[in-house]
Amino acid sequence: MDESITNRIRFLRFQNGEMSQAELGQRIGVTRQTIAAIEAGKYSPSLAAAFRIARVFNVPLDQVFQWDATDVSSKQT
Amino acid sequence: MPYREKTAWLSLLAMAVAFVPYFAIVQADSHSSTSLPSLRQLALFAVAAVVQMAILGVGHLYLNHGSPGEARTPPDERDVAIMRRSISSAYYVLIGGMILVGCVMPFNSSGWTIINAALVMIVLAEVVHYGVVVASYRRQA
Repeated sequence: MDESITNRIRFLRFQNGEMSQAELGQRIGVTRQTIAAIEAGKYSPSLAAAFRIARVFNVPLDQVFQWDATDVSSKQT
Repeated sequence: MPYREKTAWLSLLAMAVAFVPYFAIVQADSHSSTSLPSLRQLALFAVAAVVQMAILGVGHLYLNHGSPGEARTPPDERDVAIMRRSISSAYYVLIGGMILVGCVMPFNSSGWTIINAALVMIVLAEVVHYGVVVASYRRQA
Protein backbone atom coordinates (compact mmCIF):
# COMPACT_ATOMS: atom_id res chain seq x y z
CA MET A 1 0.00 0.00 0.00
CA ASP A 2 1.12 3.55 -0.72
CA GLU A 3 2.52 5.07 2.44
CA SER A 4 0.25 8.09 2.04
CA ILE A 5 -2.88 5.93 2.49
CA THR A 6 -3.93 5.19 6.05
CA ASN A 7 -7.00 3.56 7.48
CA ARG A 8 -9.05 3.52 10.67
CA ILE A 9 -10.31 -0.05 10.43
CA ARG A 10 -8.86 -1.06 13.77
CA PHE A 11 -10.56 1.89 15.50
CA LEU A 12 -13.85 1.25 13.70
CA ARG A 13 -13.78 -2.43 14.62
CA PHE A 14 -13.43 -1.65 18.30
CA GLN A 15 -16.09 1.03 18.03
CA ASN A 16 -18.43 -1.59 16.60
CA GLY A 17 -18.55 -3.96 19.52
CA GLU A 18 -14.91 -5.05 19.28
CA MET A 19 -15.58 -6.81 16.02
CA SER A 20 -12.86 -9.36 15.28
CA GLN A 21 -10.77 -9.35 12.10
CA ALA A 22 -12.23 -12.76 11.26
CA GLU A 23 -15.81 -11.46 11.53
CA LEU A 24 -15.08 -8.41 9.40
CA GLY A 25 -13.34 -10.62 6.87
CA GLN A 26 -16.30 -12.98 6.76
CA ARG A 27 -18.71 -10.08 6.20
CA ILE A 28 -16.79 -8.67 3.24
CA GLY A 29 -15.63 -12.00 1.80
CA VAL A 30 -11.91 -12.04 2.58
CA THR A 31 -9.75 -13.93 5.06
CA ARG A 32 -8.71 -12.73 8.52
CA GLN A 33 -5.13 -12.46 7.24
CA THR A 34 -6.23 -10.08 4.49
CA ILE A 35 -7.95 -7.81 7.03
CA ALA A 36 -4.75 -7.88 9.12
CA ALA A 37 -2.70 -6.93 6.05
CA ILE A 38 -5.09 -4.07 5.17
CA GLU A 39 -5.04 -2.77 8.75
CA ALA A 40 -1.25 -2.86 8.79
CA GLY A 41 -1.14 -0.89 5.52
CA LYS A 42 0.64 -3.74 3.74
CA TYR A 43 -2.11 -4.48 1.23
CA SER A 44 -4.40 -2.11 -0.69
CA PRO A 45 -7.89 -3.59 -1.01
CA SER A 46 -9.86 -3.34 -4.23
CA LEU A 47 -12.31 -0.46 -4.51
CA ALA A 48 -15.20 -2.91 -4.08
CA ALA A 49 -13.71 -4.35 -0.89
CA ALA A 50 -13.06 -0.85 0.44
CA PHE A 51 -16.73 0.08 -0.13
CA ARG A 52 -17.84 -3.18 1.52
CA ILE A 53 -15.74 -2.36 4.60
CA ALA A 54 -17.27 1.11 4.79
CA ARG A 55 -20.76 -0.37 4.47
CA VAL A 56 -20.14 -2.82 7.34
CA PHE A 57 -19.28 0.11 9.63
CA ASN A 58 -22.05 2.25 8.09
CA VAL A 59 -19.70 5.18 7.42
CA PRO A 60 -18.54 6.94 4.22
CA LEU A 61 -15.44 5.57 2.52
CA ASP A 62 -13.29 8.54 3.50
CA GLN A 63 -13.89 7.78 7.15
CA VAL A 64 -12.27 4.40 6.68
CA PHE A 65 -9.42 5.25 4.30
CA GLN A 66 -7.50 8.51 4.23
CA TRP A 67 -5.12 9.69 1.55
CA ASP A 68 -2.44 12.25 2.40
CA ALA A 69 -2.20 14.29 -0.81
CA THR A 70 0.65 16.46 0.51
CA ASP A 71 2.84 13.38 0.71
CA VAL A 72 2.45 12.73 -3.03
CA SER A 73 2.98 16.35 -4.06
CA SER A 74 6.18 16.50 -1.99
CA LYS A 75 7.44 13.40 -3.85
CA GLN A 76 6.73 15.01 -7.24
CA THR A 77 8.76 18.15 -6.49
CA MET B 1 -0.03 -19.41 9.04
CA PRO B 2 -2.53 -19.13 6.11
CA TYR B 3 -3.48 -22.36 4.37
CA ARG B 4 -2.08 -21.15 1.04
CA GLU B 5 1.29 -20.35 2.61
CA LYS B 6 1.38 -23.88 4.06
CA THR B 7 0.71 -25.38 0.62
CA ALA B 8 3.49 -23.22 -0.87
CA TRP B 9 5.91 -24.48 1.79
CA LEU B 10 4.77 -28.04 1.02
CA SER B 11 5.49 -27.55 -2.70
CA LEU B 12 8.97 -26.18 -1.91
CA LEU B 13 9.65 -29.12 0.41
CA ALA B 14 8.46 -31.64 -2.19
CA MET B 15 10.70 -30.11 -4.84
CA ALA B 16 13.70 -30.05 -2.51
CA VAL B 17 13.25 -33.69 -1.46
CA ALA B 18 12.59 -34.92 -5.02
CA PHE B 19 14.93 -32.85 -7.15
CA VAL B 20 17.98 -32.00 -5.03
CA PRO B 21 19.00 -35.71 -4.89
CA TYR B 22 18.06 -36.12 -8.56
CA PHE B 23 20.30 -33.28 -9.74
CA ALA B 24 23.07 -34.37 -7.33
CA ILE B 25 23.05 -37.89 -8.82
CA VAL B 26 22.87 -36.53 -12.37
CA GLN B 27 25.81 -34.22 -11.68
CA ALA B 28 27.85 -37.04 -10.15
CA ASP B 29 27.04 -39.20 -13.19
CA SER B 30 27.87 -36.47 -15.69
CA HIS B 31 31.01 -38.27 -16.95
CA SER B 32 28.91 -41.24 -18.14
CA SER B 33 26.98 -41.25 -21.39
CA THR B 34 24.34 -38.55 -21.78
CA SER B 35 23.11 -39.68 -25.16
CA LEU B 36 19.44 -40.42 -25.82
CA PRO B 37 17.68 -42.59 -24.84
CA SER B 38 19.06 -43.41 -21.39
CA LEU B 39 16.88 -45.71 -19.32
CA ARG B 40 18.88 -44.93 -16.16
CA GLN B 41 18.18 -41.19 -16.53
CA LEU B 42 14.53 -41.86 -17.32
CA ALA B 43 14.21 -44.13 -14.26
CA LEU B 44 15.87 -41.50 -12.06
CA PHE B 45 13.51 -38.83 -13.30
CA ALA B 46 10.49 -41.12 -12.82
CA VAL B 47 11.53 -41.77 -9.21
CA ALA B 48 11.95 -38.03 -8.56
CA ALA B 49 8.54 -37.26 -10.10
CA VAL B 50 6.80 -40.03 -8.12
CA VAL B 51 8.46 -38.88 -4.86
CA GLN B 52 7.33 -35.30 -5.51
CA MET B 53 3.75 -36.39 -6.26
CA ALA B 54 3.64 -38.64 -3.19
CA ILE B 55 4.83 -35.83 -0.88
CA LEU B 56 2.34 -33.39 -2.42
CA GLY B 57 -0.54 -35.91 -2.18
CA VAL B 58 0.10 -36.88 1.44
CA GLY B 59 0.89 -33.29 2.40
CA HIS B 60 -2.31 -31.91 0.90
CA LEU B 61 -4.38 -34.63 2.61
CA TYR B 62 -2.73 -33.75 5.93
CA LEU B 63 -3.24 -29.99 5.47
CA ASN B 64 -6.86 -30.42 4.33
CA HIS B 65 -7.53 -32.62 7.36
CA GLY B 66 -5.93 -30.04 9.67
CA SER B 67 -7.92 -27.07 8.41
CA PRO B 68 -10.85 -28.27 6.28
CA GLY B 69 -12.65 -24.91 6.40
CA GLU B 70 -9.67 -22.94 5.11
CA ALA B 71 -8.95 -25.55 2.44
CA ARG B 72 -12.46 -25.20 1.01
CA THR B 73 -12.45 -21.39 1.11
CA PRO B 74 -11.90 -19.95 -2.37
CA PRO B 75 -8.94 -17.56 -2.69
CA ASP B 76 -9.79 -13.96 -1.83
CA GLU B 77 -8.54 -10.91 -3.74
CA ARG B 78 -5.22 -10.77 -1.84
CA ASP B 79 -4.57 -14.48 -2.49
CA VAL B 80 -5.22 -13.87 -6.19
CA ALA B 81 -2.91 -10.82 -6.20
CA ILE B 82 -0.14 -12.86 -4.56
CA MET B 83 -0.69 -15.70 -7.04
CA ARG B 84 -0.53 -13.27 -9.97
CA ARG B 85 2.70 -11.68 -8.67
CA SER B 86 4.37 -15.05 -8.07
CA ILE B 87 3.45 -16.42 -11.50
CA SER B 88 4.69 -13.23 -13.14
CA SER B 89 8.07 -13.51 -11.37
CA ALA B 90 8.39 -17.20 -12.25
CA TYR B 91 7.55 -16.47 -15.89
CA TYR B 92 10.67 -14.32 -16.33
CA VAL B 93 12.87 -17.03 -14.80
CA LEU B 94 11.29 -19.66 -17.03
CA ILE B 95 11.52 -17.63 -20.24
CA GLY B 96 15.16 -16.71 -19.50
CA GLY B 97 15.96 -20.35 -18.78
CA MET B 98 14.23 -21.60 -21.91
CA ILE B 99 16.14 -19.11 -24.08
CA LEU B 100 19.37 -20.35 -22.53
CA VAL B 101 18.44 -24.03 -22.92
CA GLY B 102 16.78 -23.81 -26.32
CA CYS B 103 18.91 -21.23 -28.08
CA VAL B 104 22.37 -21.33 -26.48
CA MET B 105 22.93 -24.84 -25.16
CA PRO B 106 22.41 -26.70 -28.49
CA PHE B 107 25.68 -25.12 -29.71
CA ASN B 108 27.81 -26.81 -27.06
CA SER B 109 25.71 -29.57 -25.43
CA SER B 110 23.41 -32.41 -26.39
CA GLY B 111 21.10 -35.18 -25.15
CA TRP B 112 20.38 -35.42 -21.45
CA THR B 113 22.54 -32.42 -20.62
CA ILE B 114 20.01 -30.19 -22.37
CA ILE B 115 17.04 -32.07 -20.92
CA ASN B 116 18.42 -31.77 -17.40
CA ALA B 117 19.23 -28.09 -17.91
CA ALA B 118 15.60 -27.56 -18.96
CA LEU B 119 14.48 -29.42 -15.83
CA VAL B 120 16.72 -27.19 -13.69
CA MET B 121 15.08 -24.11 -15.20
CA ILE B 122 11.57 -25.48 -14.66
CA VAL B 123 12.36 -26.37 -11.03
CA LEU B 124 14.00 -22.96 -10.55
CA ALA B 125 10.91 -21.20 -11.92
CA GLU B 126 8.72 -23.23 -9.57
CA VAL B 127 11.00 -22.36 -6.63
CA VAL B 128 10.66 -18.66 -7.53
CA HIS B 129 6.88 -19.08 -7.87
CA TYR B 130 6.39 -20.66 -4.44
CA GLY B 131 9.18 -18.57 -2.90
CA VAL B 132 7.38 -15.35 -3.87
CA VAL B 133 4.12 -16.77 -2.46
CA VAL B 134 5.80 -17.57 0.88
CA ALA B 135 7.61 -14.22 1.01
CA SER B 136 4.40 -12.33 0.22
CA TYR B 137 2.45 -14.04 3.00
CA ARG B 138 5.38 -13.57 5.42
CA ARG B 139 5.48 -9.82 4.65
CA GLN B 140 1.65 -9.66 4.74
CA ALA B 141 1.94 -7.98 1.32
